[in-house]
Amino acid sequence: MLPMVRPAVSGALCVRPRLASCLPRASPIAALSTSSVKSATALERQSSSGRSLTASGKVRKEVPLPSQEKKEGAMQYVLTTLDQVTNWARQSSLWPMTFGLACCAVEMMHLSTPRYDQDRLGIIFRASPRQSDVMIVAGTLTNKMAPALRQVYDQMPDPRWVISMGSCANGGGYYHYSYSVVRGCDRIVPVDVYVPGCPPTSEALMYGIFQLQKKMRHTRITRMWYRR
Amino acid sequence: MSTVLRTLRNLRRIGFKDFGHQMQNIGDTKVGTLIGVDRFGNKYYENMEEELPLRTRWVDYKVNWPEFQPDQIEPGWHAWISYMVDTPPTGDKILQPGQRTWEIPEHRPNPTFSRAAFKTYSTTRPKYSAWTPVAAPR
Repeated sequence: MLPMVRPAVSGALCVRPRLASCLPRASPIAALSTSSVKSATALERQSSSGRSLTASGKVRKEVPLPSQEKKEGAMQYVLTTLDQVTNWARQSSLWPMTFGLACCAVEMMHLSTPRYDQDRLGIIFRASPRQSDVMIVAGTLTNKMAPALRQVYDQMPDPRWVISMGSCANGGGYYHYSYSVVRGCDRIVPVDVYVPGCPPTSEALMYGIFQLQKKMRHTRITRMWYRR
Repeated sequence: MSTVLRTLRNLRRIGFKDFGHQMQNIGDTKVGTLIGVDRFGNKYYENMEEELPLRTRWVDYKVNWPEFQPDQIEPGWHAWISYMVDTPPTGDKILQPGQRTWEIPEHRPNPTFSRAAFKTYSTTRPKYSAWTPVAAPR
């Protein structure tokens, strides 16, 4: 972009070439700069043999994820299929306990309206914690509400998940220094997915639900039971 | 919403292989022109005449169901598929990836729930330390 702009500028300011010639230091400004290049890949160091190093200087080792491990033996194949069936059932009928506390709940309601239409994903809001799988904590969690949140979480049947939605539920957010607000709902309940934003859009919450479904899909239920 | 006649008509136009692929991944049959392929390998299609509004642009992910995620779409293509811009990144120089020096060479999807996921850590020294209480025998 700059070379296109320059002819017009030098035509308007014809004093500048003469000024630059009488000042010997004007042109090599770039050579005077002492700051090093800070590109995004500058953190990834390369060793002399060409292998990539970690930030602490050790040789980088790629460990396969639990979801990437290969299956061995007939029993593993059977249990993997069982896990897949269970995970498919879990992730495709996700019934959330709505814990709408503040303005984030409005966005959570938008998720159930026809534009984002959570019913097509099998997500139906339940008013009772005893019938729900996942709790969406949407909004500021105050000290007064915290025992109720924990009680509701304790009433949910296993397996249960928690989505923390919005800055206030993630870490206090705007009310972090308030005397009456819990600094993040992960001080009360274990959280699986944090959705950032103030408030997060309905798309962001839906993306958080997709991430939770990804976590469910990679859960090894019977395989872990068999390993024990 | 798809009808039986539309599905059969699209099956005749795209063939059995693409039909099976689309029913597995999209859950619908669609006919369109291939607009481009991004660095990750996703294919982007468009059909402005026959499809309903907001269904005219779609993506055929590189990875199959159910492992595809919307974060695998590159930023420029995300703008195109969300109807923020009219021209795809192949036709718009500003949206093209790899033009800027600070860009990473490949597209990295969201590393959540992988080994590359972000983990919080503290860089400050703790202001207090715990002690092990010793009770004197009575």
